[in-house]
Amino acid sequence: PPRGEYIETDTGNKVARKATLVGTQNIMLGGKTVIQPDVMIRGDLARTIPSSHSSAGGSAGGSGGPGGSNTAVAIGRYCFLSRGCCLRPPGRVYKGVFTHMPLRLGDHVYIGPGTVVQAAQIGNHVHIGAKVVIGEFAIIKDYVKVLDGSVVPPNMVIPSFSIVAGQPARIIGEIPEGGIEAFELRELYKTVGNNPVPATG
Amino acid sequence: MFGNNRLPAFHPGLTQSRIRDTTSGKSLWFPGLRSPPSESSSDPANDQLPITPEDYFYDSTPMAPFNPYTYIRCPCSELNPYAKRTPDVTAQGLSRAAQDDDDHTFDPRAARSNYSLYPLEYLSFCEDCHQIRCPRCVAEEIVCYYCPNCLFEVPSSNIRSEGNRCTRSCFQCPICIGPLAVNHVETPPDPNQLLSPDHATSSHNGSYILSCSYCNWSSTEIGIKFDKPNSIHMQLAKLRNGGETRLTAKERKERRKEQASQGGNGGSNQREEDLDTVLDMETQFANLKSFYQNQLSDANGTGKAGGDASAALGNLGFDAPASLSRIMSLYTGSSSLHDKKSKSRPGTMREALAPSEGLQLASLDESSAITALQDFESTTGLDAYSSTASTSQLQSQAPYLGASPLHGLTRFTSSLRPIPYLLRTKRSKRCPQCRHIISKPESKVTTTRFRIRLIAGNYIPTITIKQLIIPGLTPPPMPNQPPDTIAPLQPAQFVLTFKNPIFESVRVTLATPATTPGRFPAKVTILCPQFEIDSNTDAWEEVLNTNNTPTSSSQNLSSSTGPEGAPGGRKRAGTLRPGTAGGASLAGEELGPEVGKVWDKGRNWTSIVIEVIPASLVQTAKRDGKGPIKEDEDVLEIPMFVRIEWEAEAPEDEIMPGLGGAGKGNNKEGGGKEKRELAYWCVLGLGRVARTL
Repeated sequence: PPRGEYIETDTGNKVARKATLVGTQNIMLGGKTVIQPDVMIRGDLARTIPSSHSSAGGSAGGSGGPGGSNTAVAIGRYCFLSRGCCLRPPGRVYKGVFTHMPLRLGDHVYIGPGTVVQAAQIGNHVHIGAKVVIGEFAIIKDYVKVLDGSVVPPNMVIPSFSIVAGQPARIIGEIPEGGIEAFELRELYKTVGNNPVPATG
Repeated sequence: MFGNNRLPAFHPGLTQSRIRDTTSGKSLWFPGLRSPPSESSSDPANDQLPITPEDYFYDSTPMAPFNPYTYIRCPCSELNPYAKRTPDVTAQGLSRAAQDDDDHTFDPRAARSNYSLYPLEYLSFCEDCHQIRCPRCVAEEIVCYYCPNCLFEVPSSNIRSEGNRCTRSCFQCPICIGPLAVNHVETPPDPNQLLSPDHATSSHNGSYILSCSYCNWSSTEIGIKFDKPNSIHMQLAKLRNGGETRLTAKERKERRKEQASQGGNGGSNQREEDLDTVLDMETQFANLKSFYQNQLSDANGTGKAGGDASAALGNLGFDAPASLSRIMSLYTGSSSLHDKKSKSRPGTMREALAPSEGLQLASLDESSAITALQDFESTTGLDAYSSTASTSQLQSQAPYLGASPLHGLTRFTSSLRPIPYLLRTKRSKRCPQCRHIISKPESKVTTTRFRIRLIAGNYIPTITIKQLIIPGLTPPPMPNQPPDTIAPLQPAQFVLTFKNPIFESVRVTLATPATTPGRFPAKVTILCPQFEIDSNTDAWEEVLNTNNTPTSSSQNLSSSTGPEGAPGGRKRAGTLRPGTAGGASLAGEELGPEVGKVWDKGRNWTSIVIEVIPASLVQTAKRDGKGPIKEDEDVLEIPMFVRIEWEAEAPEDEIMPGLGGAGKGNNKEGGGKEKRELAYWCVLGLGRVARTL
């Protein structure tokens, strides 16, 4: 059988063969996530615990039990990582040691092409545009839309229902109550993969 | 008023823009933002004088792709206010309103219509009035206040005193308006003072600073350091740029009270104050204000426990009932509200005579300020241009909170202070007429759910637009033009898909003027102006129904009377659509859209075709002499009047006795079914017309 462009797991994740996932033990994917080609996920930038707890030998896609792998990147369900984007866990000096903190994405997060994400936490139903830079330890809450080309400075907190743009990024508007449905990515998930369903409308 | 940090949900007066969001493929409407500069700069008429008159009109630079949009006009902006006063849902009431609309066809390019057009996601729907509500006509109430940075809820009682800003440690950089973080700075201890008893209590050798991670500004640039990493707002209020202390309002009041009590004891020493003492702005303001309040109370107090009562009255301001009655008595003259004692004594007021009362002699010698400006680079070694505060930076400064008002007093960034974050709100919306709550978020800041959320998307059909390309009929796209541009003077077809969100089938009637209003009229024809859309049942329900009765869908269609007939039009090969699965009996393999027939139909949607013949831009613009084609004048916009009718279940207790047949519900059938109607104008933005002709 011909090799498809995507690997489809049993939980519904569609990972492109040409995507670069480093340190896959520390990357957790929720179900039905799409990872397009040329995406880079740095799972090797994990937390380095100075004590003798070792993270080696953890189970693949570990469950986080005692002695399990520590998560560098955790992604929720129905996420969509477009071409060329990069997810890197943020790092800083913590208790005298430079270490990385986990990067957590929620559900229904769309990341546009060419975007670099170094946030600490991204909530649910977030739409990030193309060529966006999200600085370290930024916190993005739910239902946020980051427009193309914006640069979110480090440590910025973006509250829910915001529209953010600019360099440095500022909150320039609010998502109306009727705009919530537009963040759903179920339809987009179906359009990608080895047997894509063409997009409607 | 609050500077750039204000959160605009809607900005009246600014043009709407159609920002193309290329990633999602949808047109992103945005209140208050102008079109991205790349699109206007491509029009040579906007930048400089054209080389030849032809260059006015020919535009060969490709522009960003155009995404078709639908804007809906809220009925709150109708010229006739009486039409909306009575929420009359019968056919008679709305046809009257429709006639008014027919008389003035909606012109989307009129300046006034800019304020009433909204995309569907911005509109709400009032269930009682059965009317669309837009952000302009809806009444908002504040549910809670919170800081957008720390997401900490601020009780509404504290709001007014703090100036609507966060009072914890959330600040914005004065230079780039990015977030500031509290950082620890290790100060090497002074070896000489390690053992001195003063070292432990020195207050300005604190070891925390605010720093910006975007522009690398830090509070050391204005000479401010903090002792504790929390409650920075309080510490900042006590510090000036450069490290000197500053008095808060409370401390100033206490000092003045002490001075007043001392002055009473000190006797005549107070009169010989030095007139040249320089006060800072806040102290001067406070002295002046208390002086004038004393003057006011002295003029009207008549010595009646002069201290407490009239001073209390003086503090009330201009809209207090006591001062209002006082001011009104000036006009009425012979009012009985005043006693005669105060009338006989016309209050004499004087101006301030000493710095303690707020007098500041103006220093007309500005040479020091001038030399500070001229020699800035040599004295400080910094680049003068980047050290000058820009207008937007000055405007973003918080007024009267830890900063003396900067307007006109200083020009340098070294006097800018960190800006506390403006608080953000969660608001609930109410219908302005029936006071029904339309939208209500949860009062908890971190929750994103809504208790009540009535949005228009759940009541009126969604319209999506796509260009119809029939191989063999549609002309090929023009070379050198971006996709989705429409060729002038040639018919082009567009498919409009109406998706029905409610659980009843609706009948839609469309109307549009034969030519679009505006400078470049286009001829518009709707091939099927009246059609029905099926109800939004679940997919499973529909499949179960078609299994039982294979031709049920076609039977429903043929039984309904009206000009729809059986749906014609081509089926797209290769795609299996629910709803037409059992429709093999549906006729129509003809190519091309037919008049009077629906293009395609599905479970809860219907597609129809409209045909447009745009005018030629270049020739019309040359002939009418109104100048070059302005930005976005080449967009083909069609105003369309949409009328939807459906039957809804009306429970018995809603029907008010006594109204009889003249009111609602003429066509009640057994189960209490009520015929409902809704009509509104909308604008379809189809595409840009190419400037080839």
